[in-house]
Amino acid sequence: MSETAHADAHEHHDHRPTGWKRWVYSTNHKDIGTMYLALAMIGAIVGTAASMAIRVELHEPGVQFITDFQFYNVLVTAHGFIMVFFVVMPALIGGFGNWFIPLMIGTPDMAFPRMNNISFWLLPAALILLVIAGLIDGGPGTGWTVYPPLANADFHPGMAVDFGILSLHLAGASSILGAINFITTIVNMRAPGMTFHRMPLFIWAMLLTAILLLLAIPVLAGALTMLLTDRNFDTAFFSPAGGGDPLLWQHLFWFFGHPEVYIMIIPAFGVISEIVSTFSKKPIFGYLGMAYAMAAIGVVGFIVWAHHMYTVGFNVETRAYFTLATMVIAVPTGVKIFSWLATMWGGSIKFDTPMLFAMGFIFLFVVGGVTGVTLANAGADQAFHDTYFVVAHFHYVLSVAAIFAMYAGFYYWIGKMSGKQYPEGMARLQFWVTFIGVNILFFPQHFAGMAGMPRRIPDYPDAYAGWNMISSWGAYITAVGAILFFVVLWKTLTSKETVAANQWGTGANTLEWTVASPAPFHTHEQTPAIGTQPAAIGTQPAE
Amino acid sequence: MANEAAKTHPWHVPEPSPWPIIGTIAGFIMAVGGIWFMHDGPIYLFGVGVLILIYTFYGWWRQVVLEANTAGAHSEQVKIGLRYGFIFFIVSEIMFFFAFFWAFFHSSLPILNNVAQAWPPEGIELIPASGVPLLNTLILLSSSATVTVAHHAILDDNRSKAIMWTWITAILGAVFLFFQAEEYIDATFKLSDGIYPSTFYLATGFHGFHVFVGTCFLAVCAMRLQKGHFKPDHHIGFEAAAWYWHFVDVVWIFLFVNVYIWGSSSFGHVAAG
Amino acid sequence: MQNSRRIILGYNSGVAFLITAFAAFMASGANAAEPIPWQMNFQPAATPVMEKIIDFHNLLLTIQVGIVVLVLGLMLYIIIKFNSKSNPEPSKTTHNTPLEVIWTVIPIVILIVLAVPSMKLLFFMDKAPNPEMTLKITGHQWYWSYQYPDNGDFEFDSNIIPDDEIKPGQRRLLEVDNQVVLPVNTEIRLLMTSEDVIHNWAIPAFGVKMDTVPGRTNESWIKVTKPGTYYGQCSELCGVNHGFMPVAVKVVSKDEFKKWAAEAKKEFAKAKNTPVKVVKMKSPAQAQLR
Repeated sequence: MSETAHADAHEHHDHRPTGWKRWVYSTNHKDIGTMYLALAMIGAIVGTAASMAIRVELHEPGVQFITDFQFYNVLVTAHGFIMVFFVVMPALIGGFGNWFIPLMIGTPDMAFPRMNNISFWLLPAALILLVIAGLIDGGPGTGWTVYPPLANADFHPGMAVDFGILSLHLAGASSILGAINFITTIVNMRAPGMTFHRMPLFIWAMLLTAILLLLAIPVLAGALTMLLTDRNFDTAFFSPAGGGDPLLWQHLFWFFGHPEVYIMIIPAFGVISEIVSTFSKKPIFGYLGMAYAMAAIGVVGFIVWAHHMYTVGFNVETRAYFTLATMVIAVPTGVKIFSWLATMWGGSIKFDTPMLFAMGFIFLFVVGGVTGVTLANAGADQAFHDTYFVVAHFHYVLSVAAIFAMYAGFYYWIGKMSGKQYPEGMARLQFWVTFIGVNILFFPQHFAGMAGMPRRIPDYPDAYAGWNMISSWGAYITAVGAILFFVVLWKTLTSKETVAANQWGTGANTLEWTVASPAPFHTHEQTPAIGTQPAAIGTQPAE
Repeated sequence: MANEAAKTHPWHVPEPSPWPIIGTIAGFIMAVGGIWFMHDGPIYLFGVGVLILIYTFYGWWRQVVLEANTAGAHSEQVKIGLRYGFIFFIVSEIMFFFAFFWAFFHSSLPILNNVAQAWPPEGIELIPASGVPLLNTLILLSSSATVTVAHHAILDDNRSKAIMWTWITAILGAVFLFFQAEEYIDATFKLSDGIYPSTFYLATGFHGFHVFVGTCFLAVCAMRLQKGHFKPDHHIGFEAAAWYWHFVDVVWIFLFVNVYIWGSSSFGHVAAG
Repeated sequence: MQNSRRIILGYNSGVAFLITAFAAFMASGANAAEPIPWQMNFQPAATPVMEKIIDFHNLLLTIQVGIVVLVLGLMLYIIIKFNSKSNPEPSKTTHNTPLEVIWTVIPIVILIVLAVPSMKLLFFMDKAPNPEMTLKITGHQWYWSYQYPDNGDFEFDSNIIPDDEIKPGQRRLLEVDNQVVLPVNTEIRLLMTSEDVIHNWAIPAFGVKMDTVPGRTNESWIKVTKPGTYYGQCSELCGVNHGFMPVAVKVVSKDEFKKWAAEAKKEFAKAKNTPVKVVKMKSPAQAQLR
């Protein structure tokens, strides 16, 4: 309480900037987090529009409205890039990470607040470059994997792919700077008493994500630079005519790309862990196992990249190694799933919207996870590779699970961020519409894929019509869910109903619930003491 | 007011700053200008972006230096954070070079690319490792020693000695760059002559660019030394420059051993079978 | 373009998704070498490799459905037993080492159980034991060309039949002008490469899917056990008309194949001198990006 009063006094007189400078020149982790979330919403609208166009085109066999198949490929490319770099990463890492790392570890701001700001602003600039890429010279019809030779100047001679490359360079610079900031903040700025083994799991998730970013993104930057020089300065990294090899790109891309999928899902693990613990009114079960399972997933994520390349013509020993290495990931993932279940076991669970999304996350992640075991096998993959089965798999784990974590985190923290209560009934409706929609959208894609339907095609043999039609209807339902979300957002922000500092009660024992709602502009001006409170607020129980 | 007294944390939360957005604009202009240039446009837009970027670096880091010289902003804990931050930056740089080494080994080792191809490829007239590359190795290795001498001088509060040895280090960096430029001019293969020049020029070229950045960094440190910015217990900027310099040095050793010695030896031919 | 649809979209499986997954697993599959409407499972196997893939996937699917049902069951139990009404007082348990060991060890055991057949399958499918003939496949934007080095070394292109030339009874987007003809019960080595970008030569019923990479020759193999016509599609994004370069293989008896090869040698030797036929797809962007 004293902190609340103090913070109010603080707000009136201090150097809190006003007007556009507050946002553009910001050095405040909360404002920057809010801007990240806003950017993710803009990205989500653009990315969803692309996917809706794809699903409308695939609603029935034959050409619906996309007569230019290059445009179809551009939509596929844009959807992938935008969802990865401009929706999931800014929301889960930039948005929630910026907002809640300082709040949860008991420090006033990030380690490098100015660098935090350029991490954010590089993203809109990158998004603009990506949109330009899509609009000029036919656009990049390469898929988000940008495989040469298709991405080479011979087959994409215009500026489109170059704009895409530079967009990723800026987004990558943003991620690297953000990662440096996050790691330094978490390693250096935890309140006294919050040892590594007492950090909330969300903080663990952010730390590991940032480490993955720091190690993976520069490799992508190197690969993109090679592609840029191949396209424009006649180097021959990926060109067989000059002694290069198209597979080099695939190695470099997936050495980044596989950690990248964990970069998207590990923050989701963190969010879900907090929510499951809060709503079960129990500390997380097997805390250390949970933390080190994430670490194990991160480490193993760097040695499995070539399971994306089983059909490129590797020798059999290579495929055997990558099969076995990939299957190992199922073990720490299983530990996480069962630990969440064990956290809920014996709990006194309130099924508010964040918890609904968290439980939806767990179930859908399991569905997507088991098909991952199928695809891990190089032998079986010969049947599944590049079919809609793969599309179904990675949308279950990334689209559905990561976006459920975003929704869950939003409902969990919007009270803290805005001070307003979201409309519970409408939010639950949004959950059910989305849950039903995504399952109708993605489950039939397993069937289409097993029957043999390839990915990234604008028209399909008539036999696949049935499942595609169902899938498209699922997409429309999911879009209704997304529109409902924006209605909920509007209702929340205009609501007069405010929330208490700790709106979730005794289960919520991390530090962000000790400051007022909405969180004042500056928080933790006095370093909170960790572990001295009776309930050991802000930490996991000591092991 | 009560506010200042209430602040009990040691952290530095800077004022709002225009530099991040200016830097972003610089990056955006460089991207658009670079693409324009690569598609047969003029280079000046890219140049404008570079100038704005340099202006950003100047303005931003000038601000950081001012803060470093202000009591209270850079507390002991903040200094630890700055060190961490710089180390993680170097880690990301290492991973950037990792990509180019990967390209080099993928292209030169049949066990990785599964294509029987001679390395170095036919028709490439190699640069003998025992010539300029060896000389440059000696230059960089000795510059690593000189920067350490300068660091010890700072720790001993011997300013004039530190200034001299920092300048010597920066000059050695410049000499390295001079020889590398000469090596490029004398090379008989062009960037567009296939995979060997691709890996060679991009790997050594990016290293050379990092030597250039490190040289500038050291020169700035030398000037800051002359202005008396650094104390035995307060010289993060110099430490960062020295770490960066060692990083550049280690990358060069890997380049020298792998690209210049191993990559141009007959071993490559044997491995190609 | 709508007139070629032959699907009754009114049919509705009307079964919940998890149950349909089971049904798909149990279903024997239809007798066709092409996808059929509302198909939920693989196309029926026509090679030993695909048979083994299906066997292995049946094992995988059984275990996976078990895991999903287990998790779903636990969650339903939790929802019923541990909601705030039925269990107002939360337990304090945060550890149970034996339990944690169990849920680490059991997945490891399951993975070992899966790894053994997985490795067997992988090493079986890798190379043909005793290839009797070779088919060379080359990917182009956007058609395939085939070469028969052991049967007279003739060569031909295989282009899609566009929608407006499709005859009744033909399969839209799957039919080609020149089908690959191959003998039944013959071990055939496939050598694949590409002239331009990466393509992927795939036939679901054969369990074959291999990238054609420029500058490389990839190897795969088939031994088709049933005569018939088999269809597949390019399975690696290769540009504007990626969706329009199907694979169609006609498998005939060994005698018929010999006859066909003799005729084809003459026919395609003549065709070699005529200009390459370029199929016009609807996309206006095709010419621009070709």
